[in-house]
Amino acid sequence: MKAAWIVLPALLATASVAAAAEPASPAAPRGVGGMCGVCHSEVRVQFEQGIHRSEGIACTTCHGGDPTATTVEGAHRGGFRGAPRRRDIPALCASCHADVARMRPYNLPSDQFALYQTSQHGQRLAKGDPNVAVCTDCHGVHEIRRRDDPNSRVFPRNIPSTCARCHGDAALMKKYGRADNPYADYAAGVHGIAFLKNGSDAAPECTRCHGSHGATPPGLGDVEKVCGQCHATTRQYFLEGPHKKAMDAAGLQECATCHHHHHTPPASVEMLDRVCLQCHAADSAQQKLAATMKTMFTEAAQEIDRAHRLVEEAGRIPLYVEDYKARLEDARTSLMESFPVMHALNPSRVEPHTRRARSIALEVSSEIHAKLAGRFWHKVGLGVFWFYLLLTAAILVRARRRAAAEGQR
Amino acid sequence: MRARAGGRRSFRTWLEARLNLTEIASFLSVFGLLPAELDTRKPLREALDEALSQPLPSHARWPRILGILSFILFLVLSVSGMMLSFYYQPTASEAYGSVTSIARDVTAGTLVNQVHHWAATLLLLILAARIIRFYFGGMYGRSREVIWMLAMLTFTVATFADLTGRLLPWDARGYWTTVRAREVTDALPIVGPVFSFVVGGPGLDSLVLTRFYVLHIIVLPLVLLVLFYLHFSSARRVGLSAGAAPPSNRSLRVTLYDLLLVIVFLIGALVTLAILLPQPFDTAADPFTTPPGSRPPWYLLGPHALLESFPPLVPRFLRGAFLEALFAAVLFLPFLDRRSGERPGRRPMAIALGIVALLLWAVLIWKGWHLEASR
Repeated sequence: MKAAWIVLPALLATASVAAAAEPASPAAPRGVGGMCGVCHSEVRVQFEQGIHRSEGIACTTCHGGDPTATTVEGAHRGGFRGAPRRRDIPALCASCHADVARMRPYNLPSDQFALYQTSQHGQRLAKGDPNVAVCTDCHGVHEIRRRDDPNSRVFPRNIPSTCARCHGDAALMKKYGRADNPYADYAAGVHGIAFLKNGSDAAPECTRCHGSHGATPPGLGDVEKVCGQCHATTRQYFLEGPHKKAMDAAGLQECATCHHHHHTPPASVEMLDRVCLQCHAADSAQQKLAATMKTMFTEAAQEIDRAHRLVEEAGRIPLYVEDYKARLEDARTSLMESFPVMHALNPSRVEPHTRRARSIALEVSSEIHAKLAGRFWHKVGLGVFWFYLLLTAAILVRARRRAAAEGQR
Repeated sequence: MRARAGGRRSFRTWLEARLNLTEIASFLSVFGLLPAELDTRKPLREALDEALSQPLPSHARWPRILGILSFILFLVLSVSGMMLSFYYQPTASEAYGSVTSIARDVTAGTLVNQVHHWAATLLLLILAARIIRFYFGGMYGRSREVIWMLAMLTFTVATFADLTGRLLPWDARGYWTTVRAREVTDALPIVGPVFSFVVGGPGLDSLVLTRFYVLHIIVLPLVLLVLFYLHFSSARRVGLSAGAAPPSNRSLRVTLYDLLLVIVFLIGALVTLAILLPQPFDTAADPFTTPPGSRPPWYLLGPHALLESFPPLVPRFLRGAFLEALFAAVLFLPFLDRRSGERPGRRPMAIALGIVALLLWAVLIWKGWHLEASR
């Protein structure tokens, strides 16, 4: 008790606002931080934002030392480790997070450390590379938040910017012989636009293709499997076609060779004019096949466009066009279905889809033409109407003349 | 034949003994459809024969048919509007669907809808033409002050009826035209707040739509009916354009045939316009998307352009007050210009002023139209 009387004035003079807010009972460890926060007030504020604080993890769990000591020397004694070295961090975190029994109540996986050791990050770290990401680079040092906390760096929407902290750094990437900027490429591609700009959660961020703890670029021959997680139908048709074997043999990344892996442009039928020429000659049979598929597609697309304009025109009159709209939607679906099928590189597989789309559109067009032609009869009716109108007028004029003659008499 | 004719006569006599048919028929003359008074003490046929063989009063001959034409258009609008109201649903969520269904699913719905549209357009044009004719004919002085003021009020009320009707389909064009029109009316002191109060607030929501509906189908038509009645009543009192028209020896019966001919051709014109120049349908109103080129209706384009022509320093209510002063000056013109009623050649100043005013009006409409296109 005597010691408390000596320390109290010093404590009050140095304590931060956060520390002062706590009830002062210097004899016992104060909260999970103990006395550490008296000096390390900033760190303490960060720590209290995180998830570990509420789970009974204390400063000493990672840093060692004596949380009850009231002097700097006393606190930094007794197994005090200070700041862990970068290369020790994964193992330190794993001391709890690889413990199946400890992780089970939280329903958290306990294989992250094992995965990390297989990743590019983990392997380079083992070789002594200090630049690669360790746990704290993505999860935070003291302010470790839950994955579903929107302020967390590993919250799904924040992942591209978290990875970009290193992978968007051109100077850092240059050291590893990478001239591209994966983040900028991703942001400009169809996935990045969908995820970052349009807020779609269906579009992938970095980890959906690369994995998180076991982050590694997909190897040769695996690209179609990674893309196929979402583009399952396209993958199925791709495996049917001749490209899979040929590309693996030639050492080409399957999907990425035509679609690019980060800067993926929106898929369009115009790609058939360009991407095939990367490998095939302009007058080759393969390029002719591409042209055939493109023609099938564009003919159907043009027919749908024409029908769409007719439907709009008829709707303005207004004619009843709801069922035509539904049928055109059906035609568009068929047309969209032809995209995955094209990856089988077999026009006879594509044709049923484009033909169905085209014939629906043609049907709609011809039915609307018939309906619009029906309006011709309105004009015929108008003619008949005027005939009777003029007849009435003639009768009236006659009657008027007679009345005028009577008036003269 | 004789027996049938006799039977009919006896039925009329039977009815005549129980109902004053002449009095009922005289309602027609009250509204000017029959340009003569019936002696209600006499039996119908006798009273009609007497009235119809009267010499023709100076009115009811071209171009003095604008008044009667506008009243016939009003009747067409009443009938077609009533037919539309059988299917129309005045709520923001149902209005567009119900108008679409009138035009698409209801037998002859398009025709009735388009006839209603074209009758309204023609009514406004004819009412405006009547005012112009009254002015250049000098027919607003010498006991015709009331007729002039009634013509002005009829046109104004008819524009309000048109304005309230434009919102009812709840399509994008109607909705945004109303929004732009209310920017003009809101600038008017007194009239603006009163109108805002009557329609239930400055916004445009389902409740305002209901108020517009009630104004459009009940209140404004009743006001128009009263104005038409007062107009015809005053015309019978002072004679339509007695000073200018030469006396005629044609009988009223002939005039009645003329009137029927005019009605026949008017209906022909309405049906032809409705079929050959149908108003195209727009998409449903979306309060969050202003389509480009949203403008007030044509009769508010001039005031709109005038409001926007002031230097930015002038507060909006002052601009509105200027508009109201202009309107009041035109409304009370008979008391300002006492030289009216003379032949056009003898009042060159008034004619010149009228031409300048018309040209100015045309320029303002042109400007009001291009105010939006330039955005």
